[in-house]
Amino acid sequence: MSTFYERFERHDHARGLKARSTHYCAGCGHGLVHKLIGEAIDDLGLQDRVVAISPVGCSVFLHYYLDVGNTQAAHGRAPAVGIGHKLANPEAIVISYQGDGDLASIGLAEIIHAAQLGLPFTVIFVNNAIYGMTGGQLAPTSLMGQRTSTSPGGRNRHMGSPLRMAEMMAQIDGTAYVERVALFDAKQRARAGKAIKRALQVQADRVGFAFVEVLAECPTHLGLTPPETERWVAEKMVPVFPLGLKKEPTAPPFPPWPPPNHDPAELLRVIGATSAPVARFCRGFPVTAFGEDIALKLAGAGGDGAQTAALLLTKAAINEGFDATHIPSYGPESRGGTSYADVRIAESEVLSPAAPHPHALVAFNAPSLARFGPEVLPGGVVVYDSTVVTAPPSLPPGVRPVPVPCTAIAHELGQKMVKNVVALGALVAATGLFPPETLVAAVHQALASKPKLLTVNEEALARGRRAAEEALAQTAG
Amino acid sequence: MATVSKVSKRPQPGLEPEYCKGCNRCVEACVHGCIAPGQEINPLTGLMPVALHLDECNGCGLCVDACPEPWGLRVPDPTPPRPRAVPADLAPERQPLGEGKPLILKGAHASAIGALLAGCRHFFGYPITPSTEGAELMARLLPQLDGHFVQAVSEVAAVNMMYGCGGAGLPSMTFTSSPGLSLMLEGVSYMIGAEVPGVIVDVMRGGPGLGGIGPEQSDIKLLCRGLGHGGTHAIVLAPATPQEMLDFTQLAFALAFEYRNPVMIAADGYLGQMTGKVLLPPAAVKPGLPAWSVHGDAAHRGNLINSFHLAEADLEAHNRHLQAKYLMMIKAEQRADLYRCQDADVLLVACNTPARMAKGAVRALRDEGIAAGLFRPQTLWPFPIKALKPLLREVRQIVVVEASDGQLEDELRLALSHAGVGEGIELRHLRRMGGVLPSQREIVDAVRAAVKRRALA
Repeated sequence: MSTFYERFERHDHARGLKARSTHYCAGCGHGLVHKLIGEAIDDLGLQDRVVAISPVGCSVFLHYYLDVGNTQAAHGRAPAVGIGHKLANPEAIVISYQGDGDLASIGLAEIIHAAQLGLPFTVIFVNNAIYGMTGGQLAPTSLMGQRTSTSPGGRNRHMGSPLRMAEMMAQIDGTAYVERVALFDAKQRARAGKAIKRALQVQADRVGFAFVEVLAECPTHLGLTPPETERWVAEKMVPVFPLGLKKEPTAPPFPPWPPPNHDPAELLRVIGATSAPVARFCRGFPVTAFGEDIALKLAGAGGDGAQTAALLLTKAAINEGFDATHIPSYGPESRGGTSYADVRIAESEVLSPAAPHPHALVAFNAPSLARFGPEVLPGGVVVYDSTVVTAPPSLPPGVRPVPVPCTAIAHELGQKMVKNVVALGALVAATGLFPPETLVAAVHQALASKPKLLTVNEEALARGRRAAEEALAQTAG
Repeated sequence: MATVSKVSKRPQPGLEPEYCKGCNRCVEACVHGCIAPGQEINPLTGLMPVALHLDECNGCGLCVDACPEPWGLRVPDPTPPRPRAVPADLAPERQPLGEGKPLILKGAHASAIGALLAGCRHFFGYPITPSTEGAELMARLLPQLDGHFVQAVSEVAAVNMMYGCGGAGLPSMTFTSSPGLSLMLEGVSYMIGAEVPGVIVDVMRGGPGLGGIGPEQSDIKLLCRGLGHGGTHAIVLAPATPQEMLDFTQLAFALAFEYRNPVMIAADGYLGQMTGKVLLPPAAVKPGLPAWSVHGDAAHRGNLINSFHLAEADLEAHNRHLQAKYLMMIKAEQRADLYRCQDADVLLVACNTPARMAKGAVRALRDEGIAAGLFRPQTLWPFPIKALKPLLREVRQIVVVEASDGQLEDELRLALSHAGVGEGIELRHLRRMGGVLPSQREIVDAVRAAVKRRALA
């Protein structure tokens, strides 16, 4: 058998008999399962492709013995580790070898979801109805009445009842092949060998997820001789865990996975770094009353478009060669809660990205205006939607109110979504942030894939601008 | 009858008695009664191996199939063991990108794109606010590059998928946030123990427990001092801008493979959500394949990914090896950004988004004539004490500005104490929590007050 190491170098550095002797107790089923896996790998010629995952439990040292790629996983996590290996190299033949504590207790979530995912993958589940490595405690598969060190009076209803994993796995749509086998006589061992071989073949053919549960012997913790343990499995375990085929593959194989694409040109295309730069219209950093580090806040309810407008402003500023940041803030609701955005624009570097005291505020509703209006700095501007804010509160001295009927204008344009763009047009006109072309270019950039919406958005910008100019003329007058 | 003659020619089994544990499973398997339970104790093993009497044996092999020991009962096998290749490192390839235009990206998106530029094509994660945008972008972009995005059943599963993928020698990553990081720490400890590379971006939010979804720097302690059980450490990068989210994520992959260790990126909830200008690096990376990987191919068949060392001496030697690696990181990987520190007598220490507010504060304080400077650690572990030390000659006060209960300050104090410096320097702090970041105004006020108190004293 070439699939076993000639010398078990990892077993206590192959000292003495350990070079060729396993660490298992006399009569333990694990050694048999190891041999069946080794034979199946030999027969199918898969040795170079196998990644075997040693679990936590008695079989933690699987990697001492099998001459394949080996990895050792945290308790219960072998199926997750296996998914990582399989997707890293879909040509690998991944075997998740797990005991009953590992698979059916601590790793239940991982095994169920690996099965649900259904990738071609082989799980060998060794069920001996007891914990071995920790010294004979109750397993999720222990039988009713079974005495263990943590069920000294025998398993009773208070401790739950044995989990039938093969049946559970067969129920999951993602599995392709599920069988339960045993080792207690020559016939069962022959069947087990066939099942394990098939479970590997199913993976090699990319058919899908294969699960073989093996009822195995733990003479030490059952307190029986090995032949007595074989009879215990046959007589006590099999009635609870019926042997046989639970599920056959029906779905067609997975198509082969292409190797990951590392072409730099394709990468640039995918991340959107290939489109042409947007033209600049500013002659320098905008000369406003706000200095070189401008703070803006846009606030409304979810759905008002405060975030979209804020992002447009940010992009417009960056297109012009300045630095800008946008930070959103939402209430806990997915829809309809509060939504406000802080935008900072600076010539070379935005420092503090927050705008607790903005130079300009856009308020889409009365609560936003009431909350943030008092925070606007002297000399600042407040654009608010005068369609919905009918009784504006007084603002701090030196702050100019700019009422703009954003909602009404958007309705007139037949596209109520554009009220935020109306507000943007008004904001830019009221502050002198950018020439009108800057925002038009940013809108073109944002709507590259929706050209039908261009006209209405351009119109919204222009109407907002006009409304702001009129409002400012009125206050000035 | 042909079958019978074939059977009769089959070789009989042999047994080296020292490899028999005397389980007697073969005794029952033999239908010809050729095997009897042993009566004599083997002096080498102290066990009683079975006794073979092969006169009636027809070489059916059922006893061999019943023997649980690979080198126990067996028929001689003339095939020699298959030779094992000696794997070589396949180095990553640098791929120039040419001139890309600036991108306008959210911090979380910038980090995801940094990962793609580093050659990462495997993402494993579980959605958690405020880190999810990064995962969502990966879900959209990876399929276009024939990569793999897996939404795992939990953070526990996600980090173990990274353990598998990293063990196979390929770069992988996840985005998570504080409660998710807690769940991943078991796996991080295994990754460190088994020397598996991978990148974890932690977009920190308020805690403890479910805490809140606003930004905090609540995991500095975990990232620097508590990466699961055992003596663990990993490089912790602390970006402050969307640009650094991209740059540091790309860098993190290189460091992860250089040291065979996970790399942690400590971001805050603000930074994950913040949109800003991002320039592309000059080159992308096509990953190689390290010699140590368990890739599932002939070249790497002899390899093992493992953190379990049963013999005390082996585990101690392994730990000394890990600690030598940590020492190399401490020597080579300290990173810091200094702003007007040269002549500063009051030093602000801050990282992530609060460092931006602190930078604004330094500018305002300098305008008032206060000699303030900002020391911004870009690696939280190792703490950049080498860059800090020379500044301490001028510095009379340090003000630590952070969105946590003092976790950055603890790292600073540890670093000062290990270096045996900082005595006589007054240490003050400004801390906000719960999703509130220190504002520039608060920082200016705090520093002003500290300086005033010093003047009075």
